[in-house]
This record gives sequence, structure tokens and C-alpha cells, in this order.
Amino acid sequence: MIAGVAGGIADSLGVRDGYVRASFLTLVTVWGLGGVLYLAFWLATLERVDDVEVEMVESRRAMGLGMAFIGLLLLMGALGMWPSAVLVLTAGALSFGTAAITDPSSPGPFATLMSPGVEKVSRVRLILGGLLLVGGIVMFATVVGQVFEFGIVFLAVFLTGLGILIAFGPWVRRLLADLGRERSERIRQEERAEVAAHLHDSVLQTLALIQRSDDPQRMAMLARHQETELRDWLYGNMPLDGVDRVSTALRQAAARIEEDFQIPVDVVTVGDHAVDDRSRAVVGAASEAMVNAAKHSGAERMSLYLEVTDDRLEVYVTDQGKGFDPDSVPGDRKGIRESIRSRMQRVGGSVDIESEPGEGTEILMGLPL
Amino acid sequence: MSVAVYLVDDHRLFLSGVRAELSEDFRIVGAAYDVDTAIEEIRGYDPDVVLIDVHMPEGGGIAVVQGVAETNPDVKFLALSVSDQAEDVIAMIRAGARGYVTKTIEPEELADAIRRINAGDAVFSPRLAGFVLDAFAGAIPSEDDPELDQLTSREKDVLRLIARGFAYKQVARKLSISVKTVETHVSSVLRKLQLSNRHELARWASKRRIV
Repeated sequence: MIAGVAGGIADSLGVRDGYVRASFLTLVTVWGLGGVLYLAFWLATLERVDDVEVEMVESRRAMGLGMAFIGLLLLMGALGMWPSAVLVLTAGALSFGTAAITDPSSPGPFATLMSPGVEKVSRVRLILGGLLLVGGIVMFATVVGQVFEFGIVFLAVFLTGLGILIAFGPWVRRLLADLGRERSERIRQEERAEVAAHLHDSVLQTLALIQRSDDPQRMAMLARHQETELRDWLYGNMPLDGVDRVSTALRQAAARIEEDFQIPVDVVTVGDHAVDDRSRAVVGAASEAMVNAAKHSGAERMSLYLEVTDDRLEVYVTDQGKGFDPDSVPGDRKGIRESIRSRMQRVGGSVDIESEPGEGTEILMGLPL
Repeated sequence: MSVAVYLVDDHRLFLSGVRAELSEDFRIVGAAYDVDTAIEEIRGYDPDVVLIDVHMPEGGGIAVVQGVAETNPDVKFLALSVSDQAEDVIAMIRAGARGYVTKTIEPEELADAIRRINAGDAVFSPRLAGFVLDAFAGAIPSEDDPELDQLTSREKDVLRLIARGFAYKQVARKLSISVKTVETHVSSVLRKLQLSNRHELARWASKRRIV
């Protein structure tokens, strides 16, 4: 309850934690030994990560624990350190009795006692626990009555309160736990609804499109586009509101090319930079370069590579297509090339085109930062 | 004798697809859908190359790599995944895998990657090259082993070209070096990635939810 020591010991011994807690409580009356032991166990197990598998026979373990407990008391008696016997017995009877009749997993002491399907062991445990508890209360009442000479009314009120606490305490605790569980369940439901809504808008729509399409290439592209989008959503590459990083803007541009031209674009980014007027121009130029490659290279896929260092931003658009001789480009390609070049020049950047017939094409867009 | 390949993937459909693609070129000695079976059978069959999925229940591909590292140190792992997030890639390589490719890879490229892995080389996909460059960027070498914590400029050149989508042969030609030298550079980068405990690498990794 305090530091989880009793629970931890109970786990590794294979007994119910109530018994361990009761042992500690009882030992507190022996000159605070229980408290000392609790502290000692707590300190000793501070670093422990608990993952103990419990598969021990509970009763045998409980018996061993009880014997060790009695042995300790006898040992102390032999050493002449016998504490107030009545106090020990009272505390022991009270705490062990409570532990025996309060089983968090059962529907409650009375229900357990009445329902026919209950195991014999738990019924015996309940009766013994109840007797122990009553005995403990009587002893306690006697001691308290002798020492403080309380009025009988006060004592009756106190005992009734104690009884109610013992009988309904676990039930109240369970009620609170149930409330907490319900709340987290509701949160889970809401999350599931959100996921379902997203999957419906994206994945299910795509699957429907794929079923209606009979062009294998179109199907593959739809699948790939959906894969990219779903992964970005799952791993948060794509911000929900607005694009503020160059890498994200390039990824989106590549996704558009994949969709419009049915050609996969492998995007790799190293480093990143904020989107501003200058870097936006680079994204625009890179889009043009990708359109260029998609339209003219004849390649089955292309690569987009972004690298940002302290003083430079570079984007490469590379394809393994048929390539061309940069010095003798046909008119329409020249137009696109110039549009890439002029975009870059306006923001103080540069464009390098490396290509040879049969060797693919690579366009480098560089921007000093 | 042809290369003995073992497959591990919890997606049966994908597994049977890969099996069909590879069975002509390789000897498929077995396949597993879960971590425990995989560890047990890999120990028994001792295959040359294991094609391993990263995302699986009960510890994933990393658990398998670590599970057979001591008993079968000669088994080489090629990680194959639908997700090529940085944390998966780096964690897998640091666990001992010698390469990483995505499931969208063409069958011929996959076969080529398996042969390369079997020959003792590392297989770097463009994404993996990018992640490594990112992880080693802005390198300040640590005191203990500066060489291990930094990429040489030649290694960076090789990685950049791989990240830009060039095959090893094209990388070699662009840098006017032999393919063998490219392979040596890549293997050296792999070694650094596995052994370096450089500050930045750890920080980069934890930033991306690895370690």
C-alpha cells in the first residue's frame, strides 16, 4: 500500500499480499519490528523490476510464512524479548482475520459464504478468518476497556464502525477501481472511433477503388500511395495542420507525382529546414524536376534526396531512365529546365543537370543557407 | 551448393509470396511465423542467410537475431520490413543484421541482396543510407575511439550516392573506384554503426524513440 513492498514479497512468495501485510502489521507491535522490516525490504528492493511468475501452491507458502513468523516470535521469547503477548495476539488476530475474509477477487464475504458454488477452501478460510477477527476485536475491546475505561457506548460505536469498514471496505475500493476502468475504457472507445474514421476515409476507400480497377499498374500505384499515406499517419511524418518542414513538403510533392504519373518516388531525407520563401522555391523546382523525369525519362521509378547541412540545402532528383544530352535538348524539355533554373536563380540557388543518353538523369538543386 | 535461406515473417501471405519468388535461386530450408519457432529452427538448420521481418509479436526480429547470436554466429540476417522508420532500421542493424531492405523491393533486387549478404557484404537501401548519414551528421568524435565515431568523407560520398538511388556499380563508376571498394566502404560503415557508442548516435537514436 505504501511502497508496494508487501505486494512484491507476496508476488515472489506466491501468497496473497494481505497475509504479508498482516505479518508486517503484527510485527509492528514487537517494538516496531514490522516497520523496520518493511523499511528494510523497501530499501533492499528499490531497484527491483518485478516480473516474477507466480505458480506456487498458495496454502503451502502461507503455512511456511506462518511458521517462520511463529518461529521468530519463539526465538524472541527465548532471548527474553517477549513483547506484550496480548498486544501481539490482538494485532495478529485482527490483521490476519481481515486478510482472510477480504479477497479482492471475490464478490464480498457474505456473498462468498452464501453462494453454493464456492470452493470449500475459501469457505473454511472465511469462517476461520471471521473467528480470528471476532476474537481480535474482543481482545482489543478488553484491552482498550481496561486501559482507558471507555464507556460501553463509545466502544459499541467503534466496533460497529470497524465492522462496517471491514465488510464494505473492499467493495468500495472495487467500486472506485471499476469507475477508473470504465473511464479508460471510454477513452479507448473514442480513440478507436477516431482510428476507424480515418481508416474509413483512407484505406477503405482505396481498397474499394482497387476492387473496381482492372489495371494492374493503377492498382499497384493506389496501394503504394495508400501505404505511404498510412505510414505517414501512423508515424506522424505528416503534420495535420500545415506543412512547415522542407522534408514534409517534398514528401507531399513526391506523393502527388506518384499519383499523377503512376511512378514510384523513393524519398530519402538527411537533416531538415523550415519552409520559407527560399526553400519553398526549391520544393517547387524539385516538383518540376520530378514531373520532367516522370514525363520523359521512361524510368520505372525515381529517387528524391534532400540533404541539409549548416550552410547548404541540396535536393537531388535522380532517375535511371534513358537520359539525354544536356547540350542538345529538345525544345519542350528546355522549357521545363529553364523553369527549374529560373526558380532557383531567383532565390540565389543553382541547378546542375547531369545526364547522358542511356545513363539516366540527375538534377541537383542547391541553395546556400 | 546454393545458398540456404530461412524465412521469418508473421504475415503468411507475404511469406508464401517471397518463398515462391526465391525458391528458384535459393534453397529455402524453412520458414517460421513466430519468434520462438524461428530461434529454435535457425539453431537446428544453421542456414546461411535469414530473411527476417522486423515487426512481429514477442520481441520482433531483434529477439530472433539476439536469440541465435551466440549459438549460430555465422548466420547472416537481412532485415525486411514494410516499415522503414529510422528506429526500426537502426535498432535492427545494431542488433547484428547486415542489411535492411523494404518489402517493396523488386524480386531480382532481393535475390541480389541475399547473395551479397551471403558473401559477407552489407546491404544498404537508400533509406538506410539516409538514416546513417543523419545519425552521424555533425560528428564530434568521442575521446575513446574517434575513428569509430565518424564517417570518412569517402564513406559519406558512397552513402550519399546510395541514398540518391544509385546501385553499387554506378556508385563505383561515379567515384572512379571499384565495386569491391564500394563494398568495403559500406561494410566499414556497418561496423561503425554497430560498434559506435558515440554521443550523438545515442542521442539521435533516443530522439527517434530507439534504444
